[in-house]
Amino acid sequence: MEALERLNYAGEFSPLRDRMIAELEDINTLCATYRSRIYRYALLSLRDPDLAETVTQDCFLRAYKAREEFRGDCSLATWLTRIATNLIRDSTRSRKFQFWKMANSTAVDAGAMADRLRSPGISPEISLVVREQLVKVWDSVEALPDKQRSVFLLRFVEEMELPEIATAMGLRVGTVKSHLHRGLAAVRKAMERTK
Amino acid sequence: MNTNHLSAWQQEEYILQQGADQQTLHHLEECAQCRDAVARLEHGLALFRGAAVKWSSECLAARPAQLRFVPSGRPSVLRWAVAAMVPLVLLLLALVPFHLSGPRPAQPVAQISDDALLEQVDEQVSVAVPSSMESLTHLVSTGSNSSAASPESGSRHFVQTN
Repeated sequence: MEALERLNYAGEFSPLRDRMIAELEDINTLCATYRSRIYRYALLSLRDPDLAETVTQDCFLRAYKAREEFRGDCSLATWLTRIATNLIRDSTRSRKFQFWKMANSTAVDAGAMADRLRSPGISPEISLVVREQLVKVWDSVEALPDKQRSVFLLRFVEEMELPEIATAMGLRVGTVKSHLHRGLAAVRKAMERTK
Repeated sequence: MNTNHLSAWQQEEYILQQGADQQTLHHLEECAQCRDAVARLEHGLALFRGAAVKWSSECLAARPAQLRFVPSGRPSVLRWAVAAMVPLVLLLLALVPFHLSGPRPAQPVAQISDDALLEQVDEQVSVAVPSSMESLTHLVSTGSNSSAASPESGSRHFVQTN
């Protein structure tokens, strides 16, 4: 399937492109397929559930309006991620967002999240270590600059390939790789402190 | 035992699966320390991903199952209508002074009549003797010729003869 899609991205195969355009025509199916993915990306980028919902909705609306412009040179997921990236960037530049960021009201309590993730079979000692690790990693990712964090999320949460991330972010693959190394270095440093 | 451990960059390259060469793979098979370091980093990333997915799922579950799309045509039409109205209103505002000053072309006629009236007044004022007394001036000027015409000139003539 992936190989088939890659063929299509190269412009050598049009039926799949037609299928993707047909998928774009039906906005409800489009949302059902990609909503959780786009929402997750927006939520982790903005740390605000309401704003993430707005961005997700705008993303699908924009995609629907611009469906004629979709050339089929990347997957629909990558194209939607690109639209979402632009919307997230616009949102983070807004004064309102800056204000709330300054007020730190959008910060996520990683500790509480770790508690919810705790498996019943794990001992309290191990659970405590895991909790501490997660808090450190979460904080280190939050502290990354916006672009680095976006690249990090797309790679390690959405599990996108580097060329896909490059397309979605409008960056070169080398730049994406550089951002990822910096992100990983930050996570490694944070985890070393929990040893 | 191999003491040339993988650098942080090599470990990260392995995690990114971009250019993990045979040498790196071979080293990881042999070196427990590097293997642990890579495993620790991967564990941290897995923890993060699990937490992120869980948080996102929880937030999404608390929201309506389907997105509600408001037809966006109307605001766009309104925006265009407002944009079209602005120059129209500006044009109207620019035309209002012209409309208000419409009767102005009649003003020169009035001005001409005013000028003529003023000239007439000037003429009247500039005359040394008012028209009502004009007949008297004629009498005075011709008084030396006819002595009977004026008692005044007559008395003068009488004084002179004495």
